[in-house]
Amino acid sequence: MANISQPSQGAWSRLLPSNSATAFHRVSALLTLAILVIAFAFASPAFLSVNNTLTILLQTSVIGLLGIGMTMVIITGGIDLSVGSVLALSGTVTGMMVKAGVPVVPAMMLGVCMGAACGLFNGFVVTKMKITPFVATLGMMLIARGAALQLTGAAPISQLGEAFGVLGNGALFRVVEMQPNGFPKVIFPGIPYPAILLVIVAIVASYMLRRRAIGRHIYATGSNEEAARLSGVLVDRTKLIAYTLSGALAGVAGNVLMSRLITAQPSEGVMYELDAIAAAVIGGASLMGGVGGISGTMIGAFIIGVLRNGLNMGGVSSFIQQIVIGFVVIGAVYIDQLRNRR
Amino acid sequence: MSQTQPAPGAPAPLVEMRGIEKHFGGVVAVNGVSLDLMPGEVVGVLGHNGAGKSCLMRILSGAMAPSHGEIRIGGEVVEMGSPQDARAHGVETIYQTLALADHLDAPANLFLGRELKTRFGNLDDKRMLAEARKVLATLNPNFTNLKDPVSSLSGGQRQVIAIARAIYFDVKILIMDEPTAALGPSETAMVADLIRKLRAQGIGIFLVSHDMHDVFDLCDRVVVMNKGKLVGAHPIDEVHKDDILSLIIKGELPTDWRPRNLEAAQ
Ligand SMILES: Nc1ncnc2c1ncn2[C@@H]1O[C@H](COP(=O)(O)OP(=O)(O)OP(=O)(O)O)[C@@H](O)[C@H]1O
Ligand SMILES: [Mg+2]
Repeated sequence: MANISQPSQGAWSRLLPSNSATAFHRVSALLTLAILVIAFAFASPAFLSVNNTLTILLQTSVIGLLGIGMTMVIITGGIDLSVGSVLALSGTVTGMMVKAGVPVVPAMMLGVCMGAACGLFNGFVVTKMKITPFVATLGMMLIARGAALQLTGAAPISQLGEAFGVLGNGALFRVVEMQPNGFPKVIFPGIPYPAILLVIVAIVASYMLRRRAIGRHIYATGSNEEAARLSGVLVDRTKLIAYTLSGALAGVAGNVLMSRLITAQPSEGVMYELDAIAAAVIGGASLMGGVGGISGTMIGAFIIGVLRNGLNMGGVSSFIQQIVIGFVVIGAVYIDQLRNRR
Repeated sequence: MSQTQPAPGAPAPLVEMRGIEKHFGGVVAVNGVSLDLMPGEVVGVLGHNGAGKSCLMRILSGAMAPSHGEIRIGGEVVEMGSPQDARAHGVETIYQTLALADHLDAPANLFLGRELKTRFGNLDDKRMLAEARKVLATLNPNFTNLKDPVSSLSGGQRQVIAIARAIYFDVKILIMDEPTAALGPSETAMVADLIRKLRAQGIGIFLVSHDMHDVFDLCDRVVVMNKGKLVGAHPIDEVHKDDILSLIIKGELPTDWRPRNLEAAQ
């Protein structure tokens, strides 16, 4: 057993898709993203501006965080319809804590714990009560949204203080210079914290799925649950972990979003679960389970983020945007199936 | 070990199943079956389709909970609450359904639930691949596409993975539920060799099969199930193929049956 340590090039290859089918999907999704960016850049010169790029990054980070959790659940063969509502509940809980005088960091952690608790409950209903994921998380979608609205009396909590806004609005390596006329000039806008958070979460999730036993068990559970059980995989525990992580990430996304607005909005995040599902599916995840990956979902999240933003800049109404994204989801899955049928 | 003391000098049974029953609503899939397995013994389990063979085997492998009955391993009463329990007692199973995760490759399936890890707790894919290559080569030297998802492999290759998974780990009691159903002649011969080798190591084997030739070739004893009941258990030299067929189809021996080995001695 002399060769336990990995050669560095081997470690890299493991972070890439393992077979040619997923590689093809990854390339075609990336290509789609590139075409979108080029098209929007031609249509509107402001699209590639620094400010707009930052906006896209921020929008995508919320979809991306939700999408990562969703991907893990989808790989187990499940679905999590509750992430949009859990996002709202977590953000509101954090907001209420901050309003009650709890410092921002512990308050945000409590908010994330709230999300994790919702996810754990989802997992419990799915595994112990044997209720299908669709129905279980549909229930949580109503429960969490109702709780968020009830707790706040449906009113947004504003004036949460500057510290609450740092996560959503701050940036690393931001360089600002005071001009002689007294106005600040942004020399380098920095890397927004939400984008950094997304990258970290994506790397950790990808590592977990590819290199840890729990990741392998998540794939095995979705691929053939009975086989996984017979092989000694603790299927229920695996699902509990996936749903809990999805809930926790919805909590993180909720905190990012509400911090960005510096307001806790109990009605925020409606239908976000659909964006998260779309991101995962565009990225190659299969609702039948057993297939999917973080890098794909990231590309999917960016495709949706770029589409939304680009169509916005082009003055396309939000109704038309929905129609376009609907067709993109169907198209992405159709192309994927065409390839598989060959 | 005290309750069922065997005759002095005889080895203790590896497995003793007593009064096993399994009900599915009104269906009685296994009906009061008692069955032993000795170390180094190959017991053929036969019966018509739906006779309850797989159910009985799944109960022993912890995949299915019995409605009644008890299982002893090495004389101790054990609870087979899960496949992990059974594995902890050295029971390995090749399921009729193979129980493979289609999207994973051969090494991932072989080590599923028992992954090899590096000292940091990461999956040691390299070592799992090397080990899988080694054990698969003993069963099928032409097995090269180890990194493909097993859904893209042939039925025989999939079966070889399921067999490899059962013998790679420390096995004392091996359950083979129709292990050669999808295998070609040379692979079947390899499995036959494997069975003989394992028997020589003192491993007890239940071999569920419809192939009369295999059963007579490999088994020391044959038991027949019919509509959930155990209708016959005979040392292999005591019966002929026709006797077994009669047990399988009618649930009883031919009316003029006498132990064939005695017949031959006369
Ligand atoms: N999970 C289940 N739920 C309900 N009935 C079942 C279940 N599993 C098996 N049965 C029933 O139990 C009976 C015995 O099935 P079993 O799979 O043990 O047969 P078998 O002897 O292995 O047959 P074969 O030779 O076709 O493999 C059948 O009538 C079957 O319909
Ligand atoms: Mg069977």
